[in-house]
Amino acid sequence: MKYLILGGMLLFLFPLTVYADYQQDFENEFLTKPWAGVQVEENVCISCHSSEQMKPEFRTIPEEWQASWHAQNNVSCEHCHGGDSKDAALAMSPQRGFLGSPQYKDVPQFCGKCHIAILTNFLESGHGKALMAGKKAPNCVVCHGSHNIRKAGIDIISVQLCTKCHSYERAKVMKQALFLTETRIGELGKKLEELKHEGVYPETDEQSLFSTQAEFRALFHTVDVNLVKDRTGEFTAKLDLIDKNIQNTYSLLKFRKNFSTLLMLTFAGMGFVIFLMTQKKDE
Amino acid sequence: MNRRRFLKMILAFLGSVTFFSFAFSFLKYLTALPASATAANKITIRKNEIASGDAKNIVYQNKPAIIINRPDKGFIALSLTCTHLGCVVEFNKSRQTLLCPCHAGMYDLEGNVISGPPPKPLTALPLKIEGDSIIIG
Amino acid sequence: MRIGLDNIIQTQVIDYRIPKNTNIFYTLGFLAVVAYGIQVVTGILLLIYYVPHPDHAFGSVQDIMTKVPYGWLFREMHAVGSNLMITVVMLHMVTVFLMGNYKRPRELTWLGGGLILIITIIFGLSGYLLPWTQLSYWATTIVTSMPTAFPVIGEPISQILRGGDHVTATTLSRFFALHVAILPPIFLALMGVHLFLINRIGISATPFGKIDEEKRPLTEYKRKTYPDGYPYYPTFFQKQMYMMMAYLAVMFFIMTFLPTLFFPSEANIPADPFKTPHAIKPAWYLLAPYQLLRLIPNKFFGIMIQLILIVVFLLWPFLDIQKEKNVLKRPVLRGVFLFLLVMWVVLLFWGRT
Repeated sequence: MKYLILGGMLLFLFPLTVYADYQQDFENEFLTKPWAGVQVEENVCISCHSSEQMKPEFRTIPEEWQASWHAQNNVSCEHCHGGDSKDAALAMSPQRGFLGSPQYKDVPQFCGKCHIAILTNFLESGHGKALMAGKKAPNCVVCHGSHNIRKAGIDIISVQLCTKCHSYERAKVMKQALFLTETRIGELGKKLEELKHEGVYPETDEQSLFSTQAEFRALFHTVDVNLVKDRTGEFTAKLDLIDKNIQNTYSLLKFRKNFSTLLMLTFAGMGFVIFLMTQKKDE
Repeated sequence: MNRRRFLKMILAFLGSVTFFSFAFSFLKYLTALPASATAANKITIRKNEIASGDAKNIVYQNKPAIIINRPDKGFIALSLTCTHLGCVVEFNKSRQTLLCPCHAGMYDLEGNVISGPPPKPLTALPLKIEGDSIIIG
Repeated sequence: MRIGLDNIIQTQVIDYRIPKNTNIFYTLGFLAVVAYGIQVVTGILLLIYYVPHPDHAFGSVQDIMTKVPYGWLFREMHAVGSNLMITVVMLHMVTVFLMGNYKRPRELTWLGGGLILIITIIFGLSGYLLPWTQLSYWATTIVTSMPTAFPVIGEPISQILRGGDHVTATTLSRFFALHVAILPPIFLALMGVHLFLINRIGISATPFGKIDEEKRPLTEYKRKTYPDGYPYYPTFFQKQMYMMMAYLAVMFFIMTFLPTLFFPSEANIPADPFKTPHAIKPAWYLLAPYQLLRLIPNKFFGIMIQLILIVVFLLWPFLDIQKEKNVLKRPVLRGVFLFLLVMWVVLLFWGRT
C-alpha cells in the first residue's frame, strides 16, 4: 500500500520536467508583479534620457530624479514638464502639454503650478520681487535643486547657499526665528511615529501637524523675519494642541500597560498556585 | 490552616480579581454608546448670512469646515481638511472650486476631486435646514 | 437528573483514568481548544464594532483601539491569540508525532488534526486581511498570487480567492465571510470528530517507559482504558488548568512587554493599493512555504513539492505501519523529522530577510 502511494507520487514528478519550460512565461509574469520588487513601468522620458544617444548633461537627470522626494511620491516628468510619458512619438509634443524646461525667471511659476501657497508668498518676498524685476535673485532651483529635490528642512538655510548674494547675517536671523518651531515640529513628528509603532494611528494629529508645518514653511518664503516672529505664536498654539493630544494618548497607553500587567500577574499567579496544588503533600 | 486551604484561598482571590477585571471590561465594551450629538456640538447659521455662490468658514468639532451656498443645488457643508495630507483647503469664489494650497488638489462644490493628488473626496458634514436656519451636526 | 448527568460525570470525569506515563505535552490539545475558545469570544466582541468594507475597516479597528472602552484589550487578545493558537496547534502536532500517537488505530485522529491545522492557518490568513492595513493588503496580495504557479487552474484559483484581479472590497467581503461564518462550523465539526475519536479509542500512552501499549496488530475495536492509571479529576484536570493559566500569562506578557511583536509599522497604516511598502512578507507561519517558493526557480515545481509534502504528512499514519512506536528507537524517522523541522525553521528565518 505504502509503496503504491510512493510510486504514484514519483510518477507524478515526471510531468514536472515537461512543465519546466512552459513555466518560464509564468515566472516572468510572477516576478513582474509589483510586490516581487521589479516595477515594470514604461516611462519613455526616462528610457530616452538614460540612453546612450542622449546628451551627457541630460543623461544624469533620471538618476537624480530617482533619488528625489518627488520620485518617492510618484511625481514624475510629465507632472512638471507636461508631455506624454507613455508615447515616445508624442512625449515632447505641445499637443500633450509639453512645456520644456523653464527660463530662470519663470521657474517659480513652473513649480508654483502645484506649490501654490509658496508661490504666492515668494512673489511677495524680497527674493521674488527682485527676480521679477530682473535683478540678481534666487529662484526655487537655487535652494532646492531641480531634479534631485530632497525633503525641505531648516538646514537649506546655510552659509554657502545664502552668501552667494549677500551676507549671512539676515539669513542667520531668519534661521533663528524658525528654529524653535521647526525643532518642535520635528519632535512631534517623531512622537507620532512612535505612537504608530504602539498600535495607535493618530490620523487627525498627523494631518494637523502636516498642515501646520506646510503653512509655517510657506510663510518662511516671504523672507520677512518680523512676519515670522509675529505669527510664531499662532503656530505654537496649534502645536500645543497636538502635543496635548499626544500626551493624552501616552497616558492612555500607560493605563493599558498597567492593566495588562495586572492580568498577566494574576494569570501567572493562578497557574503557579494550581501547580503547587498538584504537588503531593510531604507529611 | 493547612497548605491546601491557603492555596485555595489565594486561587479564589486571584480568580475573582481576574474575573471581575474581565467582567468589567466586557460590560463597558458592550454598553459603550457613541458620543451623542449634543447641542454643544451643533452649529447654527442663518440662511441669509451666506449669499448665493458664496461660502462661510466655520469650525466644527475643532476642525476647519465650510458651508457653501451653491447657486444650483443649495447648501452643503464640507470639511476643509484636504484628503491628501491634511492641509486646509481654500474656497475660490470666482472659479467656484475648492483649492488646496499645498499641492494644488482641486475639488468641486460637492467635495469631489477634480484634479491633483487627493485620493478621496472631502468629507460632507451632516446639514439640516430648519426654516430660516442651517444646522450643522 | 433527567439525562443522567451524575452518570456522565461519574464515567467521564471521576472514573476516567489517564495512563501514568503521560507528560505535560498531553495538555496541548486542551490548550488548543482553549485558544480557539478565546479567539471565538474576542472575535465575537470585535464583530460587534468592526465594519467589513475597505472604506471603514481600518477606521473601525482604530475606533475599537481608541474609542471603545477596553476595545484595545479584546483586539490585542485576538491578534496575539491567533499567533499563539497556531503555535500551540503546531506544537501539539510535533509532540504527537514524536510520541508516535498517530499510529493505528488513531490514523483518523491524526488526519482530522492535520486538517484542523490547515483550517487554523486559513483562519489566520483570512483574518490577516480584515484590519485593511498596508501589511494586510500586500501580504494578502502575495499569498493570493501564489496559486498562479499552477498552469491552467492557477489563475482561476487566484481569481476566485481574490474575487478579481486585485485585492478589493470583494476580497474583503469573502475573506470576512470565510473567517466569521464558513470556517467556524468546519472547525467545530472537525474538532468534534477529533475529540470523539480520542474518547472512543482511548488515550494512548507514551512509548517511553515500561508501560505496554496495545498489542499489535489491532484487528477489532477495543476502547483503551487504564484501570491503574491516575484519575482525570483532579490530577490531569489540574495540569490542564495551570497550562491554561500559563498560556494566558504568555499572551498577556506579549501584550504588555512585546506589543509590537506582531505589529510592524506597516500594520498601523491604512492600506494604499498604489504604494507598495519595501519588504512585505506573509505572516510568520507562511514564511517557510513562501521562502521555498522563492528559492525553487520553477514555481510549479515549488508548489508541487509543498503539496506533496502536505499530503504525505496528512496520510503519514497510513504510510508508517511499523509496529515500533518509540521514536527513540527509530533513528531514521527521527533524523528525517528533525531535518524537516530544522529546514522549516531555517526557511522561516530566511524568509524574514
